[in-house]
Amino acid sequence: MNHTERLVTVENRLGLHARPAAELVKLASKFESEITISKDEMAVNGKSILGVMTLAAECGSTLLLKAEGADSEQAVEELAALLAHNYQEE
Amino acid sequence: MNHERLIKGIAVSPGIAVGPVYVMRTELPEITHRVISRDEVDAEADRLYRAVGDVRQELESLMKHTEARAGIEEAKIFNAQIAMLEDQEFLRAVESLVRDNLLTAERAFEFEALELRETWGQSSSATLQQRVTDLVGIQTRVLHRLLGQSLDDVLHEAGDRPAIVLARDLTPGLTVQLEQGSVIGLASEYGARTAHAAILARSMGIPCVMGLVGGIDRIRSGETALLDGTQGTVLIDPTDLEVADAYEREGLRLQLRRELESILGQPAVTRDGTAVVLRANVDLPEEVEAAAEHGAEGVGLFRTEFLVVGRTELPQEDEQAEFFERIGRRFAPYPVVIRSYDLGGDKFPAAFRAAPESNPFLGWRAIRVCLDEPDILRTQIRAMLRARASSDVRLMLPLISQVEELIRTREMMVLAAEELEREGVAFGPDLPLGVMIETPAAAMMVEELAGYSDFLSVGTNDLTQYTLAVDRGNARLADRFSPLHPAVVRLLKRVVDCAVCRGRDVSVCGEMASEPLSILLLLGLGYRVLSSSPGALPLVRWLVRQVDLAAAQRAAVAAMEASTTREVMDVLAQTIAERVDLNLLVAGRLSVR
Repeated sequence: MNHTERLVTVENRLGLHARPAAELVKLASKFESEITISKDEMAVNGKSILGVMTLAAECGSTLLLKAEGADSEQAVEELAALLAHNYQEE
Repeated sequence: MNHERLIKGIAVSPGIAVGPVYVMRTELPEITHRVISRDEVDAEADRLYRAVGDVRQELESLMKHTEARAGIEEAKIFNAQIAMLEDQEFLRAVESLVRDNLLTAERAFEFEALELRETWGQSSSATLQQRVTDLVGIQTRVLHRLLGQSLDDVLHEAGDRPAIVLARDLTPGLTVQLEQGSVIGLASEYGARTAHAAILARSMGIPCVMGLVGGIDRIRSGETALLDGTQGTVLIDPTDLEVADAYEREGLRLQLRRELESILGQPAVTRDGTAVVLRANVDLPEEVEAAAEHGAEGVGLFRTEFLVVGRTELPQEDEQAEFFERIGRRFAPYPVVIRSYDLGGDKFPAAFRAAPESNPFLGWRAIRVCLDEPDILRTQIRAMLRARASSDVRLMLPLISQVEELIRTREMMVLAAEELEREGVAFGPDLPLGVMIETPAAAMMVEELAGYSDFLSVGTNDLTQYTLAVDRGNARLADRFSPLHPAVVRLLKRVVDCAVCRGRDVSVCGEMASEPLSILLLLGLGYRVLSSSPGALPLVRWLVRQVDLAAAQRAAVAAMEASTTREVMDVLAQTIAERVDLNLLVAGRLSVR
């Protein structure tokens, strides 16, 4: 089983709240791999918006992305790109 | 006014509504404990997913309505709501409680829902705490469905005739659903300007007040109320006179808004032809566009604390350089004045958090931190020097009280430039250095400070606070805090005279620069550059255009001779009243807040 992990920083100034979290989960759900996102001592399912929101990842916080599965590399690649993207929003 | 009838809250969506109040109770329904038998399990799981499907349809139809009424961006709030509703991990957990513990669907759902609400509610993140409202909104819908009710039944009563709806908490779904009925105003006990429901109310133009603490206990359904979404108040059982007053205020606010719109794009020039430069104060990157749209001729105060807040370490030089350059270019050919970190108190990255101080306003903060931890300042200086290669950025130092602070910074600038030169990194060597005049010490030493700097900028909030020894955050002292105190007026005069004499640029970047009476005074004293928050720029521009400079100068002379704050205010108010309806300005203060 392929295993990929990477540390990423949340660039969105308001952090990973409702709408950015929804986008992240939408992207994560496209992959076959199991995706885990952890911050400090907490790890959540990357395909669960409630889990991702519970992380309360503020701007600048560091997340560990982990993927297990056939498409793990691509999953981590694309999710990291999304998190690094500093999208504008309310 | 009778204070028992007046309830104060937070103004989240402007406008006036008068009518009967409907107190809406959409709390999470009570769920009784009941177990099911093993052969009911599949049917119970089906029931769960059917309820979720029904709520999804409700939310989708609300989303469509929101798109039409509020806009596509606003409607995206519902995408996140639907994702929260259909969270597979959550639903699987509920389903396994049904299957393994033989709970009813509603009991299992409530069990999981409660745990999540508690986790979010206890979070140290304020944003996540606020989102509990959204969560409750979705969970209430699902539970109502599971109990065989629809939220529509609850809302039906509210929608019957025009009413002000008062709820414990306004969820986004509820807000949109109510809007489809005949709601004329919205009020809630919880919530804040940034709540999703608040954003929706503003886009749909429904007057709304949140944070009405104890509102539900004090107002009964059917009572008439006056909701003022501009001031953030609800008045129970208003008299005809009070209603008329509210509409008059609202009329003035709209009139002022029309006036401000009518001069959009016109220069800030006094009636007698003196040009005034208007710059913006920018706290957060997303204010940059608002500043540019409102015609700011550059940024008079670019705060850099946002780079640090909420982070565990300080941002690197590259990140800062790129950022400064981008902002600098955005405002070209105008300057962007960047203030070095004004850190102190709670505004510290974890690594630098110092021991609590008994008097943080007089403590280790701002330039003092930057010079004691020179790496912090060196990084900012290098980033600004680099940005200076392609944009007109300028460095400004906060809370200066000693000439040495300026001399040491100059030395660091020279060293940083030499380093960059050696490293072969592109930079602009002539980075202008400015001083914020925020302490009486700086105002008294302004000649010497001007000698070592390229420009001066008066931070009137701190200058007032330090001169009067009045904490501006202390509500009990609120009426003692005034930048129009004669002591502050005299310091302001001293600073502008010295700057003019020395040929240094001088500006005002505190709240004074957006307060009508103060603007008159500042122009009269000789200030020609004002920097205000982006939202205040239209009002400042309009006001400058009403001012007769000769009259402002006469008023300033009188203000210099005044012995009380009251006298200063009176002379300024009299002068301004010759040109402007003072009632309009009162309305203006409400709309620019």
